[in-house]
Amino acid sequence: MSTEPRTNEHSASTGILAGGLLAAIGGVLLGVQIDQNGSWSGTGWASFSIGALLALGATIVRTRAEGRLPRNTLGIFAVVASFLALAFLLSGVLAPGGSWMFFEMFVIVAVVVLKRQPSSEARWVGYGALGLLVAMLCFRLWITYQGSENRWAVTTIPIPIVSWIPFSFLDPIKSISLGSFTPHELGFPPAGLSFGPTLTLWSFGFALCVAGLLIVQISAREHENDRIHALIQTLPPPLAVFVERIVPEEEWYALGLHGLPERRLARHIESVVADRMARQKGLRAAIDAGRMLSSPSTDGFTNGIHRAIVDPESGSANS
Amino acid sequence: MTIVVASLLFAGAIAVRGIPPAKSVAPQDVKEEGPRILEPMQFLAKGAILRAGELDAWVAKDRRERFKALRTQLFTLRDCPNLLDWLGKLDGQRLERMITELRGGRREEALASLTLIFQLARATEWKPAVMSSARQAPAVRLGGLLEDWLRTWGDKGARDPLLSEPTVAATLFYAHVMRIAQQSPILGQLDEPLQRARTFLNEELAAGQSKRSALGEIVQSSHSAAMSRFLGTDDPLQGFSADAVTLFPDITGACP
Repeated sequence: MSTEPRTNEHSASTGILAGGLLAAIGGVLLGVQIDQNGSWSGTGWASFSIGALLALGATIVRTRAEGRLPRNTLGIFAVVASFLALAFLLSGVLAPGGSWMFFEMFVIVAVVVLKRQPSSEARWVGYGALGLLVAMLCFRLWITYQGSENRWAVTTIPIPIVSWIPFSFLDPIKSISLGSFTPHELGFPPAGLSFGPTLTLWSFGFALCVAGLLIVQISAREHENDRIHALIQTLPPPLAVFVERIVPEEEWYALGLHGLPERRLARHIESVVADRMARQKGLRAAIDAGRMLSSPSTDGFTNGIHRAIVDPESGSANS
Repeated sequence: MTIVVASLLFAGAIAVRGIPPAKSVAPQDVKEEGPRILEPMQFLAKGAILRAGELDAWVAKDRRERFKALRTQLFTLRDCPNLLDWLGKLDGQRLERMITELRGGRREEALASLTLIFQLARATEWKPAVMSSARQAPAVRLGGLLEDWLRTWGDKGARDPLLSEPTVAATLFYAHVMRIAQQSPILGQLDEPLQRARTFLNEELAAGQSKRSALGEIVQSSHSAAMSRFLGTDDPLQGFSADAVTLFPDITGACP
């Protein structure tokens, strides 16, 4: 036996709680900003309300598509934590006001809220959508940087030749500003924004929220698997092992076992087992009754299939 | 337990968004008993000669007569002498001593001191002349007078209802004077006045630090664009200088 000490394995419930804590701390960091005088203030309710609205939309779309609800306190906490983490994330990347905010809202609605995840995925936000949120955060940080430098446009393009002439009266026509915005739209405090410290807070907040959301989602899935496993383990041990072989854990989410109340879960497992056994029996009957095994061929592909049916273990070993 | 902590943190994360930003306001004038000086910026502006006499009453008795004589002389100075030349004369030396004395007095005397510095800048030539040997010297000397005043009154003045605005004006004007000294060579620029002004203003405003000085907060609230420019690398004094020209368009440093 190995004498190496075993590391303690954390349960799914620990993951949900840790993820929730991370998301909450991230939410705090995303909700504050530091002005040029070093004073702290909040980022305002407006962008959070929009973020919460979009997160609610994503939650409803997701729940409607799956028809699943949390079945215990920890499950409910996981859903609430996921909703809040998503709300913090969305409000953290949205421009705090003005036309930019509405443009970004439409993008989020299209890519995050209405986007259907594959049925095998338990996460609310796919990696593609996450990439989009990172890009939007970078855009928000850029316009915040521009504003903190008292440049109220996304970018300023100098006009060649005119911008090279050193006469100050030409200043108004030396450059073109693209995508203008105002301090009010950015929710800046009266003393302006201190970019460096605020960038640090928001970046850490965003990273913590993303990490929290992913951990909560993965742990919630494991937590549901634990619940289903616990129900199967109420069967006599040999039967429980057989059921878990015929309905493997990897398929539980896709089979719609997650989120079902215990009575319906038991019925659903019964029907899946019955369905799979019926299919198994049908296959065996086809093998026993058919002539397909009595006519070996010289064709390599046919031989391979023949071997795979007669002796599946050697077939899988060859492959 | 962890659920409770996380829930409290979630509630906190929502609540912090409502923290109102700190208002950046200049110190409000208070109702003081007895006479007080109103509109102190008028003592630094072009029409200062009309009110300069009011300051006599605020100067300590032991120097009141000397102040009155020097004030009259400075406000009636003609022919726009070179600042360095005039300060080297007997009257100029007296004026410098008076500026130093007043700077160490009460706040009203500090205002009188600053009034004398601004009038000196208005009545003398300190802008680099083409045929001068040390072209930047008069501007640097004037900058030195402002620097000494700001070193004594900068942060204190920013918190004072009477001196708040004059202190900000002196800061802008100091940057303007030092920028002129910086640009004194016919070709190129001098690095020394810029570095000196930059170091001094950084210290006075606490510009690059997480918590600004009282003067830094007021300058930030009223001249935020200039402050941002100051924190950059491209001509950092330009923003303050432009704002100073807007405030005091008549002080050019050149003789008409």
